[in-house]
Amino acid sequence: MKKKIGVYICHCGGNISDYVDVEKVRQAIENEEGVSLAKTTIFACSDSNQKDMVADINTNQLDGVVVASCSPKLHLITFRNVCERANLNKYNYVHANIREQVSWAHSDDKLGATEKAIHIVKAAIAKVRYAESLEPNKIVAQKAVAIIGGGVAGMKAAIALSDKDCPVYLIEREFFIGGRVAQWDTMFTTNETGKEVVTKLYNNLILRPNVTIFTGAEVIKNVGSIGDFKLKVKIAPRYIKDKCKEGNLQKAIDACPVVLPDEFNFNITTRKAIYHNFPSEYPQSPVIDIKNCTRCGKCEQICENIDFSQKEEILDINVGSVLMATGFDPYTPKDGEFGYNEVDNVVTLPQFKRMIELSDKKLLFKEKEVKNIAYIYCVGSRQAEGENTYCSRYCCTSAIHSSLLVKKKFANIYNYHFTRGIRTYGKQEVLYAESSQQGDIYMQSYEDALPIVSRINDKTIVKINDILTGGKEITVEADLIVLVTGMVPRADNSVGALFKLPKGRDNFFNEIHMKLRPVETFIDGVTISGACQGPKNIMESANSALSAATKSYSYISKGILETEPIVAVVDKNACSWCNSCSEACPFDAISKIEIGEKTIASINNAVCKGCGMCLPVCPTDAIDLIAYSSKEIESMIDSLI
Amino acid sequence: MISKQKITSFDALIIGGGIAGGEAALNIANTGYKVLLIEKDLSIGGKMILLSKVFPTLDCAACITTPKVSEISRHPNITLFTSCEVSKINKIDENNFEATIIKKPRYVVIEDCTACQLCEQACPVSVPDEYQFNLVGRKAAFIPFSIASPKAAAIDIENCILCGACEKVCPTNCIDFTQDTEEYQVHINTVILATGFKLFDPLLMPRYGYGLYKNVITSMQMERELAPTRPFNTILRPSDGKVPDKIAYVLCTGSRDASIGNPICSQICCMYSIKQSQLLMGALPMADVTIYYINIRSFGKGFEEFYQQAKGMGVNFVKGKIGKISEKENGNLILRYEDINENRVKEAEHDMVVLSVGVLPNQDATKLFKTDELKLDPYKFIHQVDSLLSPAKTSIDGVFVAGTASGPMDIPDSILFAGSASSEAISYLIQHK
Amino acid sequence: MAEKNMKSAKILVFSTEKISDPAIDMAGLLKLHYPPTVYTITVPCSSGIKSRWIMHAYEKGFDGVFIAADGSDCIFGESCTEKTGHIVSRTHELMKQNKIEPARLKMAAICSVCSESFVKQIKSFNEYLLKNSNS
Repeated sequence: MKKKIGVYICHCGGNISDYVDVEKVRQAIENEEGVSLAKTTIFACSDSNQKDMVADINTNQLDGVVVASCSPKLHLITFRNVCERANLNKYNYVHANIREQVSWAHSDDKLGATEKAIHIVKAAIAKVRYAESLEPNKIVAQKAVAIIGGGVAGMKAAIALSDKDCPVYLIEREFFIGGRVAQWDTMFTTNETGKEVVTKLYNNLILRPNVTIFTGAEVIKNVGSIGDFKLKVKIAPRYIKDKCKEGNLQKAIDACPVVLPDEFNFNITTRKAIYHNFPSEYPQSPVIDIKNCTRCGKCEQICENIDFSQKEEILDINVGSVLMATGFDPYTPKDGEFGYNEVDNVVTLPQFKRMIELSDKKLLFKEKEVKNIAYIYCVGSRQAEGENTYCSRYCCTSAIHSSLLVKKKFANIYNYHFTRGIRTYGKQEVLYAESSQQGDIYMQSYEDALPIVSRINDKTIVKINDILTGGKEITVEADLIVLVTGMVPRADNSVGALFKLPKGRDNFFNEIHMKLRPVETFIDGVTISGACQGPKNIMESANSALSAATKSYSYISKGILETEPIVAVVDKNACSWCNSCSEACPFDAISKIEIGEKTIASINNAVCKGCGMCLPVCPTDAIDLIAYSSKEIESMIDSLI
Repeated sequence: MISKQKITSFDALIIGGGIAGGEAALNIANTGYKVLLIEKDLSIGGKMILLSKVFPTLDCAACITTPKVSEISRHPNITLFTSCEVSKINKIDENNFEATIIKKPRYVVIEDCTACQLCEQACPVSVPDEYQFNLVGRKAAFIPFSIASPKAAAIDIENCILCGACEKVCPTNCIDFTQDTEEYQVHINTVILATGFKLFDPLLMPRYGYGLYKNVITSMQMERELAPTRPFNTILRPSDGKVPDKIAYVLCTGSRDASIGNPICSQICCMYSIKQSQLLMGALPMADVTIYYINIRSFGKGFEEFYQQAKGMGVNFVKGKIGKISEKENGNLILRYEDINENRVKEAEHDMVVLSVGVLPNQDATKLFKTDELKLDPYKFIHQVDSLLSPAKTSIDGVFVAGTASGPMDIPDSILFAGSASSEAISYLIQHK
Repeated sequence: MAEKNMKSAKILVFSTEKISDPAIDMAGLLKLHYPPTVYTITVPCSSGIKSRWIMHAYEKGFDGVFIAADGSDCIFGESCTEKTGHIVSRTHELMKQNKIEPARLKMAAICSVCSESFVKQIKSFNEYLLKNSNS
């Protein structure tokens, strides 16, 4: 039992002290058993207070420390480190959350909040009395990173890690690398095309001996955790031998009788069952879409490189960290949403971008020349009623950039923008200015009266009450309507589910803290980058990919990782091996051992993850979890009442 | 008199101790490299440490910055120089740079100062406090602000009358008027520029009356009024100390305006104004807050929801550009504006006006490089040579940029940018071993 | 204010470090209010809560115990929901034996962003407990 506990109660500027009487809390706990020092502080986490704490611990020979401040998710580690600097084992530190769960949650009831804070600090003191010095478990970190998703973010992260002499497995689910960016034409700000960007990255990657690229590959199983993830990767066959002659393959493609919508062009064109994405895609080999192949054998007769005997492979890889770069899906409008799938000249922005790239001389849609284009913004974003309340960030700039491009490429184009307020933030503003100067018409709808698309006498009409002209009703006859669709999280979350990655309110993967830990997740060792964390443009994706690479690298660069020593312990006297705990353990960490005459349970500390699932199933109550023992929990309960 | 001192070499030099530079320093130092972090101000933490709370989570800015600042100041791989400026950087050859650093005298021995504030109390000189954006005064012997790091006194020699009062009361004799400018030469292998941004000076827009009408303040001044370490402990309007109850925000002050030379959007003003409006609604429940805007740009994660939340709390959003502000005898202000919804010119009276000032480039870093050219973009931010794929690369190989030195951005983006710059710098160091 | 406190039941919440506690934190961040007599003890996983702790809470005077379970988001495995369910049913048996109304123990899966759901559940649990203690 601790006899010299130091307690610090934080004002957090006013975040706590505006609602909780921190001095009253201090007075209420200073005479608790074992407390030898009780202080309030304006900012517990400030450098000066941390220095004071180190001095206090040394001068007063404190054997336990409690800080009552914000959530432990923010500063548990900060204060554990303070203890370490004062040569006090960091597991003698207990954190009390009196901000998120007291002052903020009960800002409507100052007396109640103060009362609750007193109990919470007392409970933390009760817990720290039983705290013991512990040594972290040390594990060897595999010096390799698995990157899931071979779009721009994944490829960029792969280069960054490879540059740091870290082996990388780049795992792409599709048969071609490049993700969404491969589908874009010329891009803001550099006017490179998506293809050029992907080519540049791919050519850089294939030269690297420490980068292994898998396409048509999916992670199907994960066991293990930070430092030592054991992944099973399923690799689908392409049904085409490695080296093939382009001439015959093209003939084989021509011969294939199966015609399917081409997803790469967002279904505005068709492809065969044996197909390319685009003429120089990566890897430079087509693939057979076996689900839709009729096995007619026509391609095999033409091309010697077709090989239907190829089998699916399962590979085992072992990595220290996993970097997620799974990207986004473009929003698919519902039938009838601004005429989508009901009025026949309505397309989405991604489809429009493919149309611009694939059209030559004249912009044609269903064989008719397009002159008047109406852009309807925020489709699938900022929904008042609907799932997606967020702004998708990239679409305003992307739509304006496309509208400039289409005007440059084709003659007699007139652009009409039906906006909800243009958000060309930062330097992107110049595009908006350029577009306005070129005579594009901008209108803005009221939030409760979005534009209406209708088909009247063979004409497609968009109607709006325009804020910018004082609410005038304006109608535009359009040859093509472009729905400026936003980004949504990937519909298929199987890989996210595999790693149990938490999602945010917007359903994108969630970071631990937007500012303190923006690329880390609650799953230790798994980082997130690019648009799987939230909508981003390419530059922002690259920045987040490089940040995630830095973080993943930091987990493995030292070769040894420390993990929490919170494991289950068996009371040898109380245990009379019944197998219940071993059955409950999801990690196979419990086995039986013989000690003298007796058979008892034994915990493998290297495997135990400290979940505690074995505790409640024990009929003799012989198992406790370190730092969560019954005496600790029950003494906390005693203090809370 | 300049004393010359030759000191050792470092792996990385980071210029700017704000949130981007600090984050980059920690990232690089944590992988084992030696970092020299140079800050021209008396404290690290940049602009962020002076903010109240940050959007969209309403975390207090100090709670995010102080632990980072603390980690920086005690990190074994980081050497921190405050009150220092880099005067030039020469690239000798690939991955070899030589930098000259000028250390301005603080006239206080930091290691001996206990921040007891006795010198502050003794000093007879009062001048406007730049860390409180001139809302209040400070002494010529002063501690920059309560959560400054290092937390130590400094003497503002320009305003000091050399009376010696501070020296007499200092219990540790840490005040030293004999300190002089020092010059250091350092050798480094890579450089990160994290020199941040400058705020638009609203004196350049006389029609808004800043500097003329006392109750027209900048958003940074309001930020201080709202901060935990705030000067008045409440919200006051400067002319008469009255608690305001009808506050207006003028967005895009100094942004999206080619006539004052800044055509781009500052990317943060909409959100910080919405944040301040929410904090004001909390602090002054009876007050009206009106935000005059052109477009609201709540584009980041959780931002749109934050904007909707402000609307739900009762903040008024008026789409309209302010033409002119004039002052009434009682200190209230008349805003003449074009109401775009109603398509006519209107006037409104407010008792306090906050100008949401924009982000301008800090051009301090541009003239450092003598051997190579550091290119700038059309708006005088540091040019990104591969803005899509390697956003941190500059026109000089081995020199990287992080945060708002390359353009306007918010804190989450600055932190990601810093992560990106550190990744490039670490790769550069490993590849050039 | 004091009267307001009397109007709320004493509830012990078992939250989990990585899933439900972040949701309770976020409730505070969003200033979603709930009674201040709701106290939280955080454990790694909801399937590691012992019945004796719950019984101890009633013995000491808590009106209700709320398990903010990991549900299917549990980072330790799919079996969590089922195992937490077993803990609840075993504890219900113990409660019946000790003449404690089983409805005073409640479990709900609270995901890492389920702040609104948490506050809603805890408020209705509070109302239930108050109604039943009065009768």
